[in-house]
Amino acid sequence: METLNHKEVINLLLQLASILILARVFAEVARKFKQPAVVGEIFAGIILGPTILGNFFPGAHEYLFGAHEMTNIAFDGFVQISVVLLLFIAGLEVELHIVWSQGKKALYIAVASMVLPIIAGFVVAYAFPEFLGVNINDRIVASTFFGLAISITGLAIVARILMDLNLFKTSSGLLIIAAAMIVDVLGWLIFSVILSLSESGTEGLGVWPTIGLTLLFTLVMLTIGKGLINKVLPWINKKLAWPGGLLSLSLALCFLAASFTEFIGIHAIFGAFIIGVALGDSEYLTEKAKEILHQFINNIFAPIFFVSIGLKVNFITGFDPGIVGVVIIVGLLTKYYGAYFGGRIGGVSRKESVVAGIGMSTRGSMDIVLGLIALENGLVTEPLFIGLVILAIIASMSAGPLIGWARNLKI
Amino acid sequence: MYQKIALAIAFSPRMEALISETKRLVQLFDSELILIHIGKKTDELEAKLDEIIRKTELDSFKTKLIWKEGKPVKMIMQACKEENVDLLIAGALKREGLLTYYMGSVGRKIIRKAPCSVLTLIEPKLDSTVFEKIVINGTQLEITPHVIAMGIDFSKIINAEQVHILNEIKMYGLQMGTASEDSEEEASQTRRELVQHEMKYVEDILEKIELGNVRPNIKVTGGRWAVELARFCEKIDADLLVVGDDHKLNFFDRIFPHDLEDLLSTLPCNLLIVKN
Repeated sequence: METLNHKEVINLLLQLASILILARVFAEVARKFKQPAVVGEIFAGIILGPTILGNFFPGAHEYLFGAHEMTNIAFDGFVQISVVLLLFIAGLEVELHIVWSQGKKALYIAVASMVLPIIAGFVVAYAFPEFLGVNINDRIVASTFFGLAISITGLAIVARILMDLNLFKTSSGLLIIAAAMIVDVLGWLIFSVILSLSESGTEGLGVWPTIGLTLLFTLVMLTIGKGLINKVLPWINKKLAWPGGLLSLSLALCFLAASFTEFIGIHAIFGAFIIGVALGDSEYLTEKAKEILHQFINNIFAPIFFVSIGLKVNFITGFDPGIVGVVIIVGLLTKYYGAYFGGRIGGVSRKESVVAGIGMSTRGSMDIVLGLIALENGLVTEPLFIGLVILAIIASMSAGPLIGWARNLKI
Repeated sequence: MYQKIALAIAFSPRMEALISETKRLVQLFDSELILIHIGKKTDELEAKLDEIIRKTELDSFKTKLIWKEGKPVKMIMQACKEENVDLLIAGALKREGLLTYYMGSVGRKIIRKAPCSVLTLIEPKLDSTVFEKIVINGTQLEITPHVIAMGIDFSKIINAEQVHILNEIKMYGLQMGTASEDSEEEASQTRRELVQHEMKYVEDILEKIELGNVRPNIKVTGGRWAVELARFCEKIDADLLVVGDDHKLNFFDRIFPHDLEDLLSTLPCNLLIVKN
């Protein structure tokens, strides 16, 4: 087995240290301005990456991120694990009983807030592939991917905003949370299917087998899988060290599910997400355990992933104001109006629909993961990916003040 | 509180005990009683029922017998609607087997589809159950103020010794995980606020209710309310759990169970389901 040499080990450790330190510094700065940590973490990546450090201190950047190929491979392993764990935690956040309790209203908001951006995103990308930077050879899939990427809601971000505004427990808050959970589930289901349509996606599994497998895996995990989890978890809680046993076995289960879905031709992160949903919905996974998992992943692995975005992309050379403008306008308007009309169709009041529209427009987590996968699969170009990241930053920064404003509307 | 109480009878070994339990409640609530039997009316069954009515000393002026033929659940529901029943009493087994869970038993189907409140007795006794320890679901739901009001009224009438109201902090893990972006002091403050918020929710409801001699104990938990309620009921050995339901449960709810369905799969004690 090949191992890292002395210098490579030092390099890897310095990479991780610099990433975690800078991510923490900028997350704290973001906190001071009442902004989500993810915004600070993305900025930390921009500073550490080719955009700032590579531009102004090329030597330092080269030493940290370009001197050792083996180190970069090892670091990529960390990033891959971070993405899987991010999806796992996103799955844990989905609580099906909250979704049920909100019923059809949440479903209307969720579906409408996805359908409109997917259609609009598809149409824009399909009509102007060269301008927007979607893969012309894989036009349908790439256009759908773009539509899906702008249709995602950042559940963790919107949860934070609603908590800050004391809206989390209100009917509007729970409605947005439940709708965002539905968006997460639908989004990853659609993602798995369209990735299989891509020529660069799975190993030629085909569309219908992928759709069948995806749905079957989801159904089995949420019924039989959850049943098995309910049988095993009490034993783990009682017999093994707590929370040590639970944490290590939860992550092991997450990696197993991720490797299984990757093996059957669905992307690994889908397995992590669904096992997260199944585990999070189990009555035996205590809220305390969820809190620990959240803290552990959100403060160690999430920063690694969000900083790594800035390391991959040069935000100055890749910045295209036209693309960014289109992505922001299409992304924000379609998501807002989709959720708004969904709410109105579901019988939600105008004011609450406006709040839901703004809340559902919050992004900044899963959409970036989606965009990055599209970038890595050659479905979108760097400028479009940058547009998606900027959309996420603007949407998550503006959601709080806008919801605050919407609550005082006299309508 | 309940003007018309109905009991679905099936000539099972537990029928006499169920009628005894029902009789006590009918007297306490000063209600009319409607006995519903779905099946063929035969002289033998009629005689058997008359015998039990005599034995349990039911007030024949306040008791009505309904015999219907057809599908049990459907006909019981129909009878409840026709008679404007306020409370339907039914027997149910404590635990549902896997097959019964997905296919449904008559008892559980009644609970799921009833148009009125349902009292489910898991261990009816000939000498009647004394409801000393009552637990009420105080989770923030649309129906909760009504559930708490009904639970308190029920407790007053049957003179319960202990009344506990449980409220959950919804998505505690997500909220505290999100709060980990804050300082230790801020996170502790968030934790305190989450608990206080739930306490206040129940206190505000109780303020509008005439409590009489009832002194409810408010408890806040983190986690799913059905599970927490079941655990708490088992821990204190509760006699009755009062929960609300404002929509009919169907087969789909069993595939992807939500809280009430979770609760029905293993009843921790007798269960009163308050419906709007």
